[in-house]
Amino acid sequence: MNKNQNINKDTTMINTANLVKTYRRYKKPEGIRGSIASLFRREYEEKTAVNQIDLSIQAGEFVGLIGPNGAGKTTLIKMLTGIIAPTAGTINVMGYYPNDLKNAFKKQYAVVMGQKSQLFFELTVNDTLRLFKEIYEISEETFQANKNYFVQLFGVGDLMDVQVRTLSLGERMKMELIVALLHNPKILFLDEPTIGLDAVASKQIRSFLREINEKKGTTIILTSHYIEDIKTLCRRTIVVNHGTKLYDGATDELFERFQRNKRIKITFDSAVKTMRLRTGGAKLVVDEPYKKEYEVARQDAKALLAELMEHEPKDIVIEEEEIGIVVERIYQEGGNDNA
Amino acid sequence: MRKYWEISKTYMKTQLVWRADVIFNMIFTISKILFAYLLWGIIFQNKESVGMFTFHGMLSYYIVSSFLSQLEMSEGISNEIHERIRNGTFSKYIVIPAGIERYFMAMELGIVLFYLVFDFAAAVVWIFIFRIQFVFTTQWQVIVCAVLMAGLGMIFMIQLNYFLGILTLRFEGIGTFLMIKNNLVSLVTGSIVPLALFPETVTGILRLLPFYYVTYLPAMLFTGQCQEEAVRGLVIIGCWCVLMQSAIQNARKKYFRKYDGAGI
Repeated sequence: MNKNQNINKDTTMINTANLVKTYRRYKKPEGIRGSIASLFRREYEEKTAVNQIDLSIQAGEFVGLIGPNGAGKTTLIKMLTGIIAPTAGTINVMGYYPNDLKNAFKKQYAVVMGQKSQLFFELTVNDTLRLFKEIYEISEETFQANKNYFVQLFGVGDLMDVQVRTLSLGERMKMELIVALLHNPKILFLDEPTIGLDAVASKQIRSFLREINEKKGTTIILTSHYIEDIKTLCRRTIVVNHGTKLYDGATDELFERFQRNKRIKITFDSAVKTMRLRTGGAKLVVDEPYKKEYEVARQDAKALLAELMEHEPKDIVIEEEEIGIVVERIYQEGGNDNA
Repeated sequence: MRKYWEISKTYMKTQLVWRADVIFNMIFTISKILFAYLLWGIIFQNKESVGMFTFHGMLSYYIVSSFLSQLEMSEGISNEIHERIRNGTFSKYIVIPAGIERYFMAMELGIVLFYLVFDFAAAVVWIFIFRIQFVFTTQWQVIVCAVLMAGLGMIFMIQLNYFLGILTLRFEGIGTFLMIKNNLVSLVTGSIVPLALFPETVTGILRLLPFYYVTYLPAMLFTGQCQEEAVRGLVIIGCWCVLMQSAIQNARKKYFRKYDGAGI
């Protein structure tokens, strides 16, 4: 069952050098006149989505790939899975050039894109699994063993015979993962798997992914906008922005160095005037009669919290800085030597 | 082969989900034959024959050709590829270890096998209701040729639609083109008017094109006509399939690298 456990941890699964992807995109002047003019003469611009990225990922790693929208994360995943061809550079995934699209290569990885489904919406999950069993040429024994394992792990036994289109988003994502993992892939690419999911479903998905990585030894590359996904799952994180790698290293170190502030949201039952605070460095960012929001350095958060409690709040929420802010800070200050 | 058979079975299952679609498809088959019955009934009122057809010969042709044209559903392939390339979800087919073209062939086979049963039942019921003296060849060699030709015709149409779908990678939007192609194909395959009623020069030109062999000639062969064209027809449609396959391979080599998956 744990087919991937015999892969040596030192085996390089993914290797890229100077990887570049440039898209050519059509630019249309605004308005109907622009639309008519573009029928006769088109202007194109080049957009470099991935720029000179070097990457080396070992077997069994759980790597987070983060960056703002348009940073080039999805393009990178698409190149690693062979969906698109790179414009320049070298790319090697498990000994294959992905865009050759060899079946032997495709049998060794799986990709789950949060907004693109492999399921047949009209059919049941069982029907789809049966199809994938044949497509991936999985033996009946492995198929049954894996199916039972994942159905139990995801707790979806009662959903296997209902139409996919009637499932909730969270349930559908679990099914996408089962379909993807059925053939024991050596690498699992996940592009925003928790997008749109509620906190409970996201937490469940995270715990399944951790188990699959630990027990089956599957190498996982995860892109996500949610800090929680990255922090709880990935020991290593790669930060990209404008197609360039800014940081490549330990996740703990990344957040320790660059996620410096916390945001404290506080609400009151009655109107409260602007408070004079003793905690130095706390910045008031939202000031409304019933609601205040402070941005404070991580080390001062505890003191500010204690001080705010003296004002008898109705509710307090503490939030981490968003990925976008962290990335912006890395961009301004420079990442690490591996980038 | 098992994986492609499973793909066919899966698409057969997807057809069974929508009951209304099944019913409307049968109604459509029946209504086509009904209109043909009424139309040709008026035309044949004062005539024994039109072109080479008697009234019952014409209806037999109509039943067979509408049965074959109902089975020819490959336009869904070009629409599916076109749509998915434009919205970036074509990767669904790229990432699985199965040949994309063979996947679509298997998909088509699954859909066709499903409709084969229902359309056949509709045609048989109709023959009995209108007491049509169904004209059908008794020569087994001709039947074999007609079956092979209909099969090759369908393969050609799958290839054509797959090829046109791939062209989305080059031209980005081919929706209007596909619409024009569909209308032209329904005319030149003889599913609207038997091609025998066209002037000889037009029919002569059409004989060189593959569409003549998709619905029209197999239907004529089944109804006992144009038997002298059977072998030559098989050779011509076979050559078109080979040609189209090489066009597909060229297009795939040239344009697959252009797929960008929509979005960064």
